Amino acid sequence: MKKAIRSVILSAFAVFAVRAEVPSAMAITNARVVTVSGPILPRANIVMRNGLIEAVAENAPIPADAWVIDGEGLTVYPGLIDGLSTLGITDSSAIGNAGGRRGGGGGGGAGSAGAATPARGPEDRPSTTSWLRAADLIKPSDSRLETARSAGFTTSITFPTRGIFAGQGAVVNLAGNKPGQMLIASPAGQYVSLAFSASNGYPGSLLGVFAYVRQIYIDADHYRLAKEMYARNPSGISRPEYDRALEGVMESPRVLLPATRTVDIDRMIHFAAELKISPVLYGVPKGYSAAARIAKAGVPVLVSLKWPERRRDADPDTPETLEILQLRDEAPSTPMALAAAKVKFGFYSDSLEKPTDIAKAVKRAMDAGLSADDAIRAFTLNTAEIFGVADRLGSIEKGKIANLVVTKGNLFETNTKIQYVIIDGVKFQSAPETATAPAEETN
Amino acid sequence: MSRSRIVCAAAVLLAMPTFAAGPVVIQNATILTVTKGTFKGSVLVRDGKIVEVGEKILVPSGAKVIEATGQYLMPGIIDCHSHAAADSINESSVSVSSMVAIEDVLNPEDIAIYRAVAGGVTTANILHGSANSIGGKCSVVKMRWGKSADEMIFQGAKPGIKFALGENPKRRGNIASPNGAVPLRYPATRMGVEDVIRQAFTEARQYQSQWKAYAALVKKGESPLPPRRDLKLEPLMEVLEGKRLVHAHCYRADEILMLLRVAEEFHFRIKTLQHVLEGYKVAKEIQLHGAGASTFSDWWAYKVEAFDATPYNAAIMMRKGVLVSINSDSDELMRHLNTEAGKTQKYGGLTDDEALSLITINPARQLEIDNKVGSIEIGKDADLALFDKHPLSNFAKVQKVFIDGEIFFDRDADLAARPERDTTKKTLLERQKQQRKQPPARRPS
Amino acid sequence: MKSFALLLLAALPLAAGADDSFLLRGVTVHTISGQDIPNGSILVQDGKIMGVGLKLSPPKGIRIIEGKSLHVYPGMIDSASEVGMIEIDSIKETTDLAELGDFNPQLRTVVAVNPSSEHIPVTRANGITAVMNLPRGGMIAGQGSLMHLDGWTWEEMEILRSGAMHINFPVLSSPPASFGAGREVPFSEAKKDYDAKLRTLHEFFEQCRRYQKAKAAAFPGFQTDLKCEAMLPVLERKLPALITAVRERAVHDAVEFATQENIRIILAGVREPGKMLPDLKAKGIPVVLGRTLELPLNDDDPYDASSTLPTQFLNAGVKFAFGSFSASFSRNLPYQAANAVAFGLPYNEALKAVTINAAEIWGVAEKMGSIDEGKWADLMITDGDPLETKTQIKQLFIKGKPVDLENKHHQLYEKYSNRP
Repeated sequence: MKKAIRSVILSAFAVFAVRAEVPSAMAITNARVVTVSGPILPRANIVMRNGLIEAVAENAPIPADAWVIDGEGLTVYPGLIDGLSTLGITDSSAIGNAGGRRGGGGGGGAGSAGAATPARGPEDRPSTTSWLRAADLIKPSDSRLETARSAGFTTSITFPTRGIFAGQGAVVNLAGNKPGQMLIASPAGQYVSLAFSASNGYPGSLLGVFAYVRQIYIDADHYRLAKEMYARNPSGISRPEYDRALEGVMESPRVLLPATRTVDIDRMIHFAAELKISPVLYGVPKGYSAAARIAKAGVPVLVSLKWPERRRDADPDTPETLEILQLRDEAPSTPMALAAAKVKFGFYSDSLEKPTDIAKAVKRAMDAGLSADDAIRAFTLNTAEIFGVADRLGSIEKGKIANLVVTKGNLFETNTKIQYVIIDGVKFQSAPETATAPAEETN
Repeated sequence: MSRSRIVCAAAVLLAMPTFAAGPVVIQNATILTVTKGTFKGSVLVRDGKIVEVGEKILVPSGAKVIEATGQYLMPGIIDCHSHAAADSINESSVSVSSMVAIEDVLNPEDIAIYRAVAGGVTTANILHGSANSIGGKCSVVKMRWGKSADEMIFQGAKPGIKFALGENPKRRGNIASPNGAVPLRYPATRMGVEDVIRQAFTEARQYQSQWKAYAALVKKGESPLPPRRDLKLEPLMEVLEGKRLVHAHCYRADEILMLLRVAEEFHFRIKTLQHVLEGYKVAKEIQLHGAGASTFSDWWAYKVEAFDATPYNAAIMMRKGVLVSINSDSDELMRHLNTEAGKTQKYGGLTDDEALSLITINPARQLEIDNKVGSIEIGKDADLALFDKHPLSNFAKVQKVFIDGEIFFDRDADLAARPERDTTKKTLLERQKQQRKQPPARRPS
Repeated sequence: MKSFALLLLAALPLAAGADDSFLLRGVTVHTISGQDIPNGSILVQDGKIMGVGLKLSPPKGIRIIEGKSLHVYPGMIDSASEVGMIEIDSIKETTDLAELGDFNPQLRTVVAVNPSSEHIPVTRANGITAVMNLPRGGMIAGQGSLMHLDGWTWEEMEILRSGAMHINFPVLSSPPASFGAGREVPFSEAKKDYDAKLRTLHEFFEQCRRYQKAKAAAFPGFQTDLKCEAMLPVLERKLPALITAVRERAVHDAVEFATQENIRIILAGVREPGKMLPDLKAKGIPVVLGRTLELPLNDDDPYDASSTLPTQFLNAGVKFAFGSFSASFSRNLPYQAANAVAFGLPYNEALKAVTINAAEIWGVAEKMGSIDEGKWADLMITDGDPLETKTQIKQLFIKGKPVDLENKHHQLYEKYSNRP
């Protein structure tokens, strides 16, 4: 009973978390500024105009028309970037594995929605919607945006996630009046999963998925060549058949590949090299054991913040292998290991939504040795660099997009409160948590 | 930092002692060379190779000596048919799945590898399943537990491909999915199986001529659009060109003969017939075609095509001149192929050397790796299994296993590592239990 | 010399009227119950062992079989088998193991054993003379029957029509054993399902007890119920229930069930006895073990976990026998025992687990399981250790009658070896 009342009150609070006034200039004064790209400024002013950062300095002059926020006692960070999510996409046919769940190890979601006849081979382009663009799918009305902002996120690399070649991601800001205002960059890359269904035609196995992906890249090469030859001189040559599946793959500047176990990490690194694509590995809970190899390959990584855990309501007597126990124990040390090996990595929320869960997950990584600097970098500049948008996002610098998080206390510390986020120079109040109390664990 | 992490990863891995790269002498064992007789003596290993074998050998200075008096040293066991170490083995959606490759899904973390090494296996042919007439590409691997997938690959082994005849590839043509969602898949009969194979090779021939025509134009200085590379037909073209070995799952005499004749029609040779439970009925034809036969020791009666099986199969085929091996097709049987081979002594009276050849030099020949492994001979890879008793005895167990001179299984080390594994496990279990009990983080007030 | 003895043996008449009285001499007798007797003799009269010793004086006119340098062992017993009940696994028409319905205590395997099954001669060619055949289906699967592997009819094969009531104890597992399809079942749900199943099992027992009382009281209008009737020997502790239980929790629950219902039980297929071993010992519950040549249950178990399991039972003082739980693999029973020896089980204990222990567990030790006076002459004559593959079984006697060692597999060998 008590619980029910509490959640009513909490949802009432959420109503206030709405878009604030929109002045053309804004300034935060006398705040502690974690620029990420440079040293921490213990006491500085940040001036923003038209959604961009105009100045960051100790005594930066405050324009007369600026709406001023007193930053005394506050800390300002670059807005956090969720390195891989479906935020902004509400069409469930594009995000079959809602929340961009880890796809490694096979199994998982089936192919494209409602496939009529089972595919007979790669020529049928099964489980492929490589031409889909997140840029065309995002909507500011997605109710998840607010929760993400409350966790300090201002930006997401948003992908369609259904199928093997799910489609092309986009770098999007998590607020805007119209979809077009949210978009920062597109295409950000192709989301690849290892989804198959044994009863849905080819490919019906992990084996088949690999062969299919390989054939697609071979076909893309051939297609490119055929198009070039045709463009040079169409006379006397049959025109190449338009293939949107290949077009989508060819447009993607990088490819997101799932990797759960050490063997997946090795496998994907080799596969990417063979296919001559620029990979970004995602998931990687076992990164702690493969950091050196990832570093050697120079492959960037998106680390899921959903650390492996025992299933809730699991059988208390179910035997758990030492290897599983170790994975659970050590997975949160992955970010530390990657940082030490100088691997470029960013974080993604996976299916975690609640700000406290995200903070808890980051805290576990920090308890396992990740420095606060590296943690923040993995939410900001690293991710911006991985997706080629570091010239406009990821740090607090003059000329960059005015995406900021303002806190009382250090980010990811237990008692820290996120005061508000600023997106494109617009301030958003942080919503209190609306979630119900966490379920009690019994065993 | 609220807790201390145990540094246990290295210590708790299954015992994997390895030697620094120096010479190793295995001394005073009964050496079962398989190809060059049996005698009491020693083996010198250097740089992963067998460099000396004899009754008396000089121990080089700095050599690590393994005293093996009373023990038996045999070549590492080779399993010509396994599905261990693969994350996925059947692409059953299509009748011809030659585009898929076991190498893509090799999983060096599969515990079956360690267990197989603990049974003396050092090399295995990892095959695609038998759901389709023409299955996927195989991988010959060394059982290097603890190494990466790449490091498992048997370098220089000729590539292979799996075919399958009879009940298994027919199944999808006969049993519809429960809700009718998946249509029946051709073929449904042994006639259809032949058709699928002939059709595939007819296409492969056409594909081959496309490439030949392209090469001719290039030679003339033209630069035409090359044909589209087709991952399905490429390996079949390699079969036609003798560059890829065919390992064909089969049971009945009629289908065996059918495949031999189809291969002859397309001018290639079946390298091995797998399972081949009725091989004894057409041993003459198998021998004349030049195919090897890789069979079970005593499996029978699990399906109709296995009802005319006889455990004398290996012996009959061997006596009739067929190159025979005994395989496992099972992570369990794989752990005691030595005693599986021993059954041919009961069923057919094979000699010790003949029985041991079924799991060493013969499968090596079938995989065309006999220049490197399969017997204890100078110059070959130091892939060796040391047993406490004669390996054809049911009372024997493996003590140590070497692959390329490196130890990959050591029973003493395995036993010694157990207490620490147990302790670590207990600690982790307890800690994670405590973590789950921790009160949830305080909500913002 | 050996071949001469063999010829003699092979020349023995096989069919009806065969002389089941003879003196076998010049053999090493492995009695199992006592010391081995080198160069010993066995006197068999009317199918029974009438004497075992160094020198036995032959009764007048009795046939003498010279078995010089060969070995004699009691025939082996497979304590969990399906020989004669399933011909080809994949063809359900050839299978008579699992009935419909949850409670079928009235079913008797004995009537569905096909004396002409190809599996019978194949199995006995490896020295197995008797099998405990178990039904498979439902929760109470039916009555297991102990059968000789020789006879023109199942009646002639029958040793114990009803040797045990086979109970497939409910399994609490989450996720369920059949992985793949469907979602993972939360533990609470699996537990609920398990408790419900266990409750129905208890209720069935309760129903049978009421029946028992009604019958004893001879209530007017009392009607015979075949299911309950079949349960009476179990309730009266005359017939043991054979309960399959793999892991510690299942073993625990099965033992608790037996206590609650006050029944006698034998456990089957135990693979992880854990802390239950002392309990099994204290309560005198024997165990039929499955294959030693089996993958360990868990990925992180020691690689030899299945092979060392029998020794755990021995050390805990729990009586055990081996079962193949199969038809086509029943013949490998001795190799299963041998594998346990390789990993530490004393050799004699391995032999006992396929002979006398089995006879004791099934309550027929006065008739079989060792070479002792008064027991049936179920004998195998070998040229060596029967636990080794190399060893050939030279002759087999069931109740003193020589049994044909020819079988389908050997016939195919002969036929196709001679193909021109």
